[in-house]
Amino acid sequence: MAGESAAAFLNVEGLTIRFGGLTAVGGLDMAVAKGSIHALIGPNGAGKSTTFNCISRFYTPSAGRITYDGRDITRMPAREMAGLGIARSFQNLELFGELTVFENVLIGAHVHAGRSWRDAISARPRGIVEHVDELLERTGLTSYAQTKARNLDFGHQKMVEIARALAIRPKLLLLDEPAAGLRNREIAALDRLLCELRERDGLTILLVEHVMQLVMSISDRITVLSFGTKIAEGTAAEVRAHPAVIEAYLGREAAQEAAHG
Amino acid sequence: MAVFALPPFPDLSIGPDMDLQLALIFLQQGIASGLVSGSVYALLALAIVVIFKTSDVPNFAQGEVFMAAGYVALYLFVFQKMPIWVVLPATLVVAFLAMALFRRFVLDQVAKSAKDLVYLVIATLGLSYVLKGLVRRTGFGDTPRSFPALVPTDSIMIGQASVTMLDLAIFGTAVTVMAAFFWMFNYTKTGRAMRAVGMNPKAAQLVGVDLRRCHMLIWGLSGVISAIAALLISPKILMTADMGSIVMLAFAAAIVGGFSSLPGAVVGGFVIGIVENMVGLFISSRAIVLAPFLAILIVLVLRPQGLFGGKLTIKKV
Amino acid sequence: MSSPPLASSAPVRRALSGPALIGLVAAVVVTVALPVFTSGYVVYIANLLLVFVVLCLGLHIVIGETGQFSMAHAAFYGIGIYASALANRAVDLPYPVAMLFGALVAGAVGLVIGALALRMRDIYLALATFAFGEAMQWVFANWDSVTNGPNGLRISPARFGPIEILSDKQAYPFVLFFCLVMIGLTVAISRSRLGRSFRAVRESEVAAMAMGIDVRRARIVSFGLSAAIAGFAGGMFGLFQTFIHPDSLGFQTTILVLTMVVVGGLGSIAGAIGGAIVFGLISEVLRQAPQYQEIIYGAILILFMMYAPRGLFAFIGDRIREARHGR
Repeated sequence: MAGESAAAFLNVEGLTIRFGGLTAVGGLDMAVAKGSIHALIGPNGAGKSTTFNCISRFYTPSAGRITYDGRDITRMPAREMAGLGIARSFQNLELFGELTVFENVLIGAHVHAGRSWRDAISARPRGIVEHVDELLERTGLTSYAQTKARNLDFGHQKMVEIARALAIRPKLLLLDEPAAGLRNREIAALDRLLCELRERDGLTILLVEHVMQLVMSISDRITVLSFGTKIAEGTAAEVRAHPAVIEAYLGREAAQEAAHG
Repeated sequence: MAVFALPPFPDLSIGPDMDLQLALIFLQQGIASGLVSGSVYALLALAIVVIFKTSDVPNFAQGEVFMAAGYVALYLFVFQKMPIWVVLPATLVVAFLAMALFRRFVLDQVAKSAKDLVYLVIATLGLSYVLKGLVRRTGFGDTPRSFPALVPTDSIMIGQASVTMLDLAIFGTAVTVMAAFFWMFNYTKTGRAMRAVGMNPKAAQLVGVDLRRCHMLIWGLSGVISAIAALLISPKILMTADMGSIVMLAFAAAIVGGFSSLPGAVVGGFVIGIVENMVGLFISSRAIVLAPFLAILIVLVLRPQGLFGGKLTIKKV
Repeated sequence: MSSPPLASSAPVRRALSGPALIGLVAAVVVTVALPVFTSGYVVYIANLLLVFVVLCLGLHIVIGETGQFSMAHAAFYGIGIYASALANRAVDLPYPVAMLFGALVAGAVGLVIGALALRMRDIYLALATFAFGEAMQWVFANWDSVTNGPNGLRISPARFGPIEILSDKQAYPFVLFFCLVMIGLTVAISRSRLGRSFRAVRESEVAAMAMGIDVRRARIVSFGLSAAIAGFAGGMFGLFQTFIHPDSLGFQTTILVLTMVVVGGLGSIAGAIGGAIVFGLISEVLRQAPQYQEIIYGAILILFMMYAPRGLFAFIGDRIREARHGR
């Protein structure tokens, strides 16, 4: 346990979040290894998004500790996450709707655009514009660079969220239901992109997701939450066979059936 | 602007040597005058808040609706020599129609083409200019006039405060109107529909509320309440086309009350009325003008949700 | 494929195409030649319009870029007028120093207001800034020892070294120059990292936060900058005016500026400039018909909000496009 924590890139210990009298997450431990894709799954209301928002520092936990790259980030303000190399996307899309796709992604590079005085006053800071163009290329958005984000279809908007997060040049990418609402073709593209980010860019990715097709295909490790507590953790195969997981998702009967049958 | 706050002892120098006895008299007078003026501010604040609750628009023309209604009454009564029992209902009907039609034909169109608050606000500012311009155009506003008092203005003493019969009539009418409004809003079918629209317009529409009609009704009623405020106050003041600026006190009252709470608006109205009179009596009549703005600033900075508003909500992501 | 240059100033680029370009060239010719062939009155109006252009740029920063509803710009403008006039009187330095002083004082007050307004949104922000504006007007009218109260303050002539400005025609090149500088500055701010952070805050505060933008600082800074530009406009006013009265620094002026920005098209610099000129001219013409002034003014506001909320130029652009596509 201690060894695992030390090796973990992102480490969550005893995370507890209460809203009023309601405990949304109770004593969650989770370790995300560097360079892995880690999925956080569970039925509706399991506390996934709450955990996610705690790690990205939009919520502050009632108890527990979050460390990232050996650093305690439990009490740091959300706006400092980008500077540390933690990027996030939003479940319900929080795009800069009236701005172009290009500008959306350029704003993602905010923390890098102020390195020098010249960069800070430039509309097209050097080194950054090239990176933005590259990200648009990789996410298939090049031809929409000058389109207002609000005028894109849903699938492309989700890609803008990811491109914008990548412009932070993150070491840890937090994705909140990136595949929700996407069509099969788009999910396949997302699958390829995330794997490429892990293999080529060495990115660590934590995603909250409902789309099992994506989760099972790309995740190195999966943590399953139910009613605010961890009920299982392991590889896709381990989790899929875990009786508690089957019960949480399909009910008690199905779990028994799976056990006997 | 400080229409009621005529200090009863204007020549007394008020300084550190002011004795306790005098301070007590001032205090009583301030509260009595404050409750009277406050009841009118409360009416106007109610008119503002009922619109804001249901349309999310602060109606910056509320003061001019109030002013124009006063002039309609003045015109019918003084210039057309109509009997008072015709003048009063006629004024209320005109105010109702003007506001309902503005909502229906102007704001519905604005809301259709623009979602942002600033556009709706500017449209109401436009209405305020139009109304002011119309009244000036008639020329009635050139000489300041007063609406003849319908109730004797003899003074009576309550405790050590001097009030007139007219003051008591104003206070009584305002409280009655507010009570009637609250009854309507809370216990009638129409009131329930209005509350539903305020909480969730889409859901209200789904359960069969005619949104357009409901909005017209609310704006119309808000106009009626403003007109009543105008009828109550106009015997006490010199009417001019700029008398609508009194609405600032009502905005201050609404903000003190949380801006979306109807009881808050009423309490805020009385608070502002009393504070205004106290400032006039204890500090200086020059500072009266400043009082509502300071009240707005202080309340918003310390408690942006007002004294009666709920907790600030955190956006879910 | 790489994005075309000027990616972040698309509105400016759009405004510079086709008929707009011809209009711009004509405008430049008229602007430069103005004092040569017109009367002092026309030049006075031109000076005033240029001041309003700068005021609109100031309001654009806070409302157009950052999406914060300010109704206090007449106050910042007034602070700039009084501060630069008093500085000019107190010390014998070239007038631009006094202008900068006016901008700084207004900017500092703007920072404070921005900080106080941090927790407020929309209508609350509008009402708080409105109340501040009215309170400031009261201060102008009642702080007798500094502003000379309701009698108004005489502004001594601006001097640039040996040159003393005594007429509107003399002032015009300076007013025009400073206006152009402010346009340049606003475009630079808008295109910079700072401007992008303003727009990010306008579009989504939570996303801006996730991108590492300090939302609170962006809101305060935008208020400060916006107020400083309005204060600078106050200094420009002192270039050609000899007198300031608190009556002209009230809600009416704030509404005039707000209307200009909205009529031009909220969110675009070209719109703010165009709105200032077009609506400035309209309201000047309306002064010739005082009986109808308010009615027509109000009707214009209402009609614009009803049928052209995206602004005059977007409205004309849409009509031209419709005509071209044959409908």
